[in-house]
Amino acid sequence: MAGLNTADGQLRAVALLRARLLINSLRSVRHRVNLVSRAIGVILVLAAGIGGGFALAVLTWEVTKSGRLEWLALVFWAIFLFWQLFPIMASAFNENLDLSGLLRFPLTYSTYFLVRLIYGTLDIATALGLCWLLGIFTGIFAAAPRLSLWAAPSISLFALFNILLSRAVFVWIEHWLSRRRSREIIGVLFFLVVIGFQLVGPLLGRYGESRSRLQLHVPAALLFLQQRLPPGLTSAALTNASLKRYSDTAISLLLVGIFGAAAFLLLHLQLRDQYRGQNPSEGKKRAEPVASTAVSRGWSLPGIRGPLAALYEKEIRYFSRSGPLLFTLIMPLVVVLVVWGGRKGFLTHQAGFALPIGAAYCLLLLTNIVYNSFGADGGGIQFFLTSPVSFRKIAGAKNLAHLTILVVDVSILWLGIRVVYQPPGIEAIALTFAWFLFALPLNLAIGNLLSLYSPKRIDYATFGRQRPAESTILLSLLVQMGSIAIGAVAIFISRAYSNLWIATLIMLVLAVPALAGYFILLWQLDRIVMRRREVLATELCKT
Amino acid sequence: MDAIVTTSLTRRFGEFTAVEHVNLSVAPGQFYGFLGPNGAGKSTTIKMLTGLLAPTEGSMQILGLDVATHLVDVKRQIGVVPEGMALFGRLTGSEFLNFAGRMYGLDRDTAAQRTAEVLDFMELSAQPKTLVTDYSHGMQKKLAMAAAVIHGPKVLFLDEPFEGVDAVASGTLKAMLQRMIARGVTIFLTSHVLEIVERLCSHVGIINKGRLVAQGSLDELRSGVGAAEGKMSLEELFLQTVGGPRNAVQELSWLG
Repeated sequence: MAGLNTADGQLRAVALLRARLLINSLRSVRHRVNLVSRAIGVILVLAAGIGGGFALAVLTWEVTKSGRLEWLALVFWAIFLFWQLFPIMASAFNENLDLSGLLRFPLTYSTYFLVRLIYGTLDIATALGLCWLLGIFTGIFAAAPRLSLWAAPSISLFALFNILLSRAVFVWIEHWLSRRRSREIIGVLFFLVVIGFQLVGPLLGRYGESRSRLQLHVPAALLFLQQRLPPGLTSAALTNASLKRYSDTAISLLLVGIFGAAAFLLLHLQLRDQYRGQNPSEGKKRAEPVASTAVSRGWSLPGIRGPLAALYEKEIRYFSRSGPLLFTLIMPLVVVLVVWGGRKGFLTHQAGFALPIGAAYCLLLLTNIVYNSFGADGGGIQFFLTSPVSFRKIAGAKNLAHLTILVVDVSILWLGIRVVYQPPGIEAIALTFAWFLFALPLNLAIGNLLSLYSPKRIDYATFGRQRPAESTILLSLLVQMGSIAIGAVAIFISRAYSNLWIATLIMLVLAVPALAGYFILLWQLDRIVMRRREVLATELCKT
Repeated sequence: MDAIVTTSLTRRFGEFTAVEHVNLSVAPGQFYGFLGPNGAGKSTTIKMLTGLLAPTEGSMQILGLDVATHLVDVKRQIGVVPEGMALFGRLTGSEFLNFAGRMYGLDRDTAAQRTAEVLDFMELSAQPKTLVTDYSHGMQKKLAMAAAVIHGPKVLFLDEPFEGVDAVASGTLKAMLQRMIARGVTIFLTSHVLEIVERLCSHVGIINKGRLVAQGSLDELRSGVGAAEGKMSLEELFLQTVGGPRNAVQELSWLG
């Protein structure tokens, strides 16, 4: 250790640690597959960086030539927001290597600060941000070489400010996100934003023509604010330099520098507190003692008793605490709204098929839980294996819960279609019902089998990286596509005879073997579990 | 009729034999400590006894029932705290215990009543809305133990039940286990902490490299061969049976 007891040696040791973690992660096939997907990700990032940089160079060249440099404020704002928000969103989906763990070693504060700054900065947002800023500089240099003398310090200061601020924000948020609950909250917010963006187009299309006074005041206030923050100040520095107002340029740069210094100070204060072990967010709120334990009785359901009711209750409780699953409940409705808002979509002209198509989409969204139904139980699988309840009952209760979710999902969809288009006709409802009688048992039967043959531990509470095994994804897609294709063929045949009831009849006939197959397989599950119990326990107990 | 009997119990993983021809015999009401160094085959044995793992060879009987042919009947009468604790992280403590009780056939009222009692006993009732996944390790151990006993099992299998549990909680658990023994329950326990085994168990079995190398009452084993004067401590017995440690201090000469 004495040989490494220098800042230089410690920095190299941390670099080696990261390399070793990467190499060791390649020991399993799954991680090697992940490396391939990461390599594809790197290629995409390079494309975004180089392509974006090139596009920004062309754009900057154009605005510089035409003397409209103030428009660069929009670009700087976009880069700033991406730089600050992307790392936070990305970290919501996976566990990060917590560099504060290095504090157990004899690092000086300056070494610790450097480690956090250097290794923390090696992220996608910084790489892309720097590429894009380089593109802007290149555009200015090509259009007005003399202006680049001012562009270089302006863009460098802006980059430095972004790096320091993103690190300061990240150091705080990374600790916050190390808690499960916080990751869930950020994940839900992220997906709400994604949904929000999907709805922007339709809403603008519908309500975009009416404007209020408020809508005119808000941009003015935002304009005032943006001129006094680093992206606006950087743009102002360049605009003033192009107009030869050098004192105004210097003031703008000074202000960006002050913002940068403030970000540095913020980072320093947070890291210093961490270094001294004074992280205020470490402490857990002490729970208030409860005078007496009031335990509510388990659910009582008509026709379902004992372990089956307990299992059903457990499954529904799990679903109700899962942000991603609650999200899937509204997704079909969102899709219907988006298609409706665009006014040019397929559903607008074929409103009668909105319910069957939406219903098929609902089933598709349940793939993760139907085809990997023990994934969320994790170590709880050992409880199932040691309990006196048959897996036939366990899987049956799970399937009952899946059916409940599907019913809720389709009900929301039905309501949405009724409000947006028109109440679905009896033919469409009957067809949808008949298709479910065929497709649902088929999916559940194969889902139960794959849940035992390729289980993979997942966390219902976390967004992202919650996919079943690759083989499961492939087979489930084949089954889903197959059942949708059969439904489509039935509809095609019935349209040839101008009678949708024919399709309903075909689906009802097909439902008979599908239901029989489901129950036959359900009765075989315990035999399969006895053979697969070791694999199940090993895979699902992995942490 | 013994509570637990294994005959030539063997488990192989490919070329590696984890448990080899183990013949266990645990009488009803015994507190049996199953000891062995890391990787000796303790957890593999307990997994086979509780139905989590299939044996490669041999047979097992619990309360006179063959585990291979009467697995569900056996499961009804045993309680298990396995290595991974077998918890459902996204339920609260009371929801999990209620669920566990009903899975073992208790009616809703009994399950709720026992849940309240055992939560109070284990001092887990202070955070009724906290999910199990947010419990500390020690709290999770206590909860796993509570779930294992909620249906009143006749045989209890515990894999390292005291690992990561603080002294206060450990005292609570020991008191509960001793009360169960007094009521005739058979307990089969693995632990690395020899003091705990010495204090709690009346009988021990020692497994090393997959083979059962010693079995009997604690008193018999401690006064057996090798006990120069009087009785050996369990630690001495254990080290004598599985081999003592290397002289590490001599090898790491640079240590201060």
